[in-house]
Order: sequence, then C-alpha cells, then structure tokens
Amino acid sequence: MDFRPLSEVERRQLVTALRGNADTGIALLMDRCTTSFLGTAEADEVPDEEVINAIKSVPCHY
Amino acid sequence: MCERALAQWDEPASPVRRTAAELARPSPPAPTSYRPLQRVAMHEDVLRLLFEEYEEHRRTERGEEETGWILLGRRDVDQATVMATLPAGANRDAGEAHVQFDSTVQVVASRIVRQKDRRLVLLGIVHTHPGSLRHPSDGDYRGDIEWISQLRGEEGIFGIGTADGKFADGTAALRQPRPNLQALQQLSFAWYSLKRGDRNYVPIPIEVIAGPDLAAPLRSVWKAIESHAPRLERLARQQAKVQFDIVDGALLEVIVPLAESSNAVRVLLSEKEVKYYLVRDGVLAADLYEPCVDRGVYRLLAELAGD
Repeated sequence: MDFRPLSEVERRQLVTALRGNADTGIALLMDRCTTSFLGTAEADEVPDEEVINAIKSVPCHY
Repeated sequence: MCERALAQWDEPASPVRRTAAELARPSPPAPTSYRPLQRVAMHEDVLRLLFEEYEEHRRTERGEEETGWILLGRRDVDQATVMATLPAGANRDAGEAHVQFDSTVQVVASRIVRQKDRRLVLLGIVHTHPGSLRHPSDGDYRGDIEWISQLRGEEGIFGIGTADGKFADGTAALRQPRPNLQALQQLSFAWYSLKRGDRNYVPIPIEVIAGPDLAAPLRSVWKAIESHAPRLERLARQQAKVQFDIVDGALLEVIVPLAESSNAVRVLLSEKEVKYYLVRDGVLAADLYEPCVDRGVYRLLAELAGD
C-alpha cells in the first residue's frame, strides 16, 4: 500500500470529485487493487458554478 | 455535515484557518491543460439563429441599440465547438454604444441547457456594432482581457455583428468572404479569439458544421424565463435536484422532486401565469394562487410536510 500524502493537484481533484458526488451524485472511481482514487465517471462535466460565475461577470461591451 | 467534511478536506496543511466565505468559493476547474485555439467549429443552427435574431432585433423599436449573445459549447484541448446561444435578454442595459447583458436570465437559461449536457461551458461573447467597425473596440478589450481568465484555457471567442451591407451580393445565401467572417444579406459576423497576454484580438476562422442550437427550444418560453428568472434562480440554488422542461413548446415546467420516489411538485409557468401541481398517484392541481414561483413551491412543501 502507498500511504504517501496527496499532492496539491491530486487533493484538488479529489475534493472537486467529492463535491460533485455530494451535489449531483457523480460516481467516484476507485482502483480495485489499491483502493486509490482514479477520478470520476463523468470527468468532462463542468460545475454549474464555473459557468454561472463566468456569465455573471461578462463585462459591458462597447 | 458533508459540506463540513469537504471543507476540512479543502484545508491546506497550514495552521491558518480560512473564513466561511473563502471556503464557499468554488473549486478551480479541473487542471486540464489547454493549448491556444487552433480550430473553432460552430453548429449551423447557432449561426442561423444569430442571423435571424440580429435581423429581428433590428426591426424592433430598440433596433438601433447594440445587442448580443453568449456562446456555450465544448472546449477541448486546442479546439472549441459552439453549440448554443443565449440572447442578451429584454432587461439588458443597452444603447447605441454599449450593451450589458441580463446575466440573471442567462444564468437560468444556462442551467436549463446544461441539464442535457453538463460538459457545456461558456466559450465567448457576440455583440453588435451600429456602424461598420468589424473589430472589438478598445473598451471591449479592457473588459475582455480580464474576463477571459474565467474561461477554460483562459481564452475566449468574440464575435462582432454589423449591418452595413458591405458584403451583400443580392442573394439570400450565406457567404464567407473571409475565413473569420460570415455574411448574410445586410448582416455579417466577424470572429476573433483573445487569450491571456494577447495585446489584441486575433482573427479566427469559423468552420460551420451540421448541428442544432441546443438553446433554440428555450426561445419558445423565453418570456416566461425572463419574467420569473430571479425566483427560478433562487429555487435552483436552494433545491439541488430541481429540473426544468418545456411543455407543448409554450410552457416552462419546473419539477421539484419530493422525498418519495416519483412524487414531485410540478409548476407550469407562462409569462404571466403560474400553476402548481402535485404529482402523487397521478397529477393533482393545487388550489394555490401564488405568482412568486419559489414562494409557491415552499408553501406547497410546507403543506406536504404537515401530512
């Protein structure tokens, strides 16, 4: 078993995936041998907040 | 409980604790690496709708004002596909020299469109110019160069619509006089990209491919969305599983699932009317007059909680 600490990128990916699981039920993928986190079943999905924040901050155009 | 646990996961290995506001900040996008856009494809119905709605806008009493749309679609490593447009909205702030979109209606509309494809992101902006300036202005650049940091790849697609007829050839055929320009009769759209660090917009060719505008069906209920947008947005933020649909091409349907499987509160909205139903062993009309949709839903939920 590899018990090393997660890197910053791995930690971010895991937190984002856990949020997706809690909010919308996105499935988390686990390595069947090591039980480590492999990603999500729908990795291409974009969080609502990302799109909404971008829409809300569209600047005035001239 | 879950949020608290996730917030703890989000804590850096540091004794400094962050505020609730900082914790509420959304996580950054997945760390996919993007390269500068090499190819932009656009569904043909997206382009058709842009021309149609620009022409319709020019015929209205606000036709001299600038108008615009946001572009939604897929962003891949070095290419983008524009798959949907959302108009600026009737409550936009606009004049002959500026346009600020109504973001509330666009947010609600984006939620509805993204129900079917949650891979859609905001790709860019189209807006119109009254004269023949087919290039974004200095004022556009100052806002856009900051704003694109929120987009995937920190790069956006920008379109400028003009109606000076320079490319009209007397036919009703869509033409592409330049790789980054499409023209139809009096109207034309010129396309650019802008990424972080750019000193200016870069002309970008648009390839038109077969495909629908995924937001086209929303046009039939757009007035209902606009009329109820702030309250629909509150409801969507508070009720994670709320769903939207379009019924008979004329009514916006809001579905709030109940705890029991297949039971739901169902609301049908037109521009001026709101009707409530309870779906439980069939569909029952609720005897409730409440024009504010979120308030009506919560009144029904409160009654059901007493059952």
